[in-house]
Amino acid sequence: MKPILNISNLKIGYSSKTIVEKITINSTSNKLIALIGRNGKGKSTLLKTISGLLAPIAGEIHFNEKNLLSIPDKDRAKLISIVLSNNTVFENITVKDFVAYGRYPYTNWFGIKTLKDEEIINNAINLCRIASFKNRFYHTLSDGEKQKVNIARAIAQDTPFIILDEPTAHLDLINKVEILKLLKLLSEQHNKMIIISTHQIEMALQLCDEIWTLENKLLEMNTPEILIESNKLDLLFGNESVTFNKANKNFEIR
Amino acid sequence: MKINISNKISTLLLALIVLFFLFFGLDLFLGSVNIPFKNILLILLGETDLKQSWQVIILESRLPKAIAAVLAGSALSVSGLQMQTLFKNPLAGPYILGISSGAGLGVALFIMGLSILGISISDWTLLANYGLIICSVLGSVIVLLILLAVINRLKDVMTVLILGIMIGSVITAIIGIIQFFSYDAQLKSFIMWTMGDLSAVTLSKAKILSAVVILGILISFVISKRLNAYLLGESYAKSLGVNIKSTRFIIVITTALLAGSVTAFCGPIGFVGIIIPHLARMLSRSSDHKILTLLSILLGINVMLLADVIAQLPGSETSLPINSITSLIGIPFIIWIIIKNKSIKSTS
Repeated sequence: MKPILNISNLKIGYSSKTIVEKITINSTSNKLIALIGRNGKGKSTLLKTISGLLAPIAGEIHFNEKNLLSIPDKDRAKLISIVLSNNTVFENITVKDFVAYGRYPYTNWFGIKTLKDEEIINNAINLCRIASFKNRFYHTLSDGEKQKVNIARAIAQDTPFIILDEPTAHLDLINKVEILKLLKLLSEQHNKMIIISTHQIEMALQLCDEIWTLENKLLEMNTPEILIESNKLDLLFGNESVTFNKANKNFEIR
Repeated sequence: MKINISNKISTLLLALIVLFFLFFGLDLFLGSVNIPFKNILLILLGETDLKQSWQVIILESRLPKAIAAVLAGSALSVSGLQMQTLFKNPLAGPYILGISSGAGLGVALFIMGLSILGISISDWTLLANYGLIICSVLGSVIVLLILLAVINRLKDVMTVLILGIMIGSVITAIIGIIQFFSYDAQLKSFIMWTMGDLSAVTLSKAKILSAVVILGILISFVISKRLNAYLLGESYAKSLGVNIKSTRFIIVITTALLAGSVTAFCGPIGFVGIIIPHLARMLSRSSDHKILTLLSILLGINVMLLADVIAQLPGSETSLPINSITSLIGIPFIIWIIIKNKSIKSTS
């Protein structure tokens, strides 16, 4: 399969400070990718750069042979949808209205939705199993419910590429698993490339197709199997109090 | 294709339109001279056989004042709605954030500054009116740009409020210096402006004002889709394809046009711009700017007309400045918003 995401020699950060450099990636579609690394290593910065919210210091990003760095905002909106970790939302937005925001790049100047838009919105709602509370206001939802609604909005945006910044943060165990399984389903059955940043390393090793690790200003790309076999996880996350157990594929407290 | 306007909202819109006719009629009817309502209607329809003094009172005093109330109410409310969305701040409004002060500085420079420099434009009515609006709008734009530059670093709603008050104080200080150096005649006309109310708007001023306000409101409807996306924050808006820079620019210009032009002719009118968008959200339970803009316009018009009716102290000979009335209604409401906002924060 031909690589669909091509990143070459990308250098990210802010003008005064390089956070990660020499990023080169060629990745194919239908993949769930986890971006892992300690706090402050540049996970959010990388995701923001790929999604066009932050300009890189140098380098190029192509998706589906389109240059993501020079593409107009309205065209990028049909290629990439994002789910951010901080959500401050005004009152009075119902779940259904929130999901409907995904149709924004497709509706006319006055924002009138067609029957097809309605159908896509309803499909996204059903896929994420949020129909039972679709008329409730977004700001009244629990964190787990909110995250499902966020993902439904990204699905409604109908893009081949979805980027999520820590989608499992603040969620309980069951919600974490449900969200990750939902993303896995999207990548497998709906032909999407999905990148998440996460601290749920053990779950990512079980569910993701590819793991990107960030350390020492460099990015490395591996399959979970190779990553487990190498000593990388211990180098990245182990210290005097915690160690990675290859056999059990989990972290153990020393 | 369908536009989602629920029955509840259509009923609300209808009720507001009925109320508008009621308040507009009442505003024309009330005043120190008692003119029968039937005769008011006849004068408005162009009848010229009636008492000369009645015609003058209706056509040159009460009608322009009522039109000014309509324009000020709608313009201030829509500009408040846009600012609350732009700054993601429920307490944003043209008065409280110093936009009206900025407009005041423009007016001060125009009325007093020009004469200090030895330029007199008092003979050129048309130029004076347009110049007043342009200076006032420019003053508003400058304050908005200062706010935009610093607001991203101030996450807290209250800090932004303090900033607005500080901008207002700095501008008051600058205006004080201009006043100190200006001549008696210009000083007097500026003081009159600061106390100015709707009655300062003549029919010819109302024409200019209505052109600017209608333009501002039309732009507001055109950008309502972008404003909706702005509710999710700038990052999401950008990811949905909104050009953030151009949108910010359009919002700033529209807000300044609406708030600046009204302030130029009616003087600073407080709190309408904060309260009305809240009322619109509360009553409609909607976040769609197409609906919110429409509702803000109608609510703003009605509240302003009602404030003007109250200001005339029905049954008495005197009338109060409308600015005092809007402040008296407005401040308790703002305290309520602050308390409500706190409770939202602490539960989430």
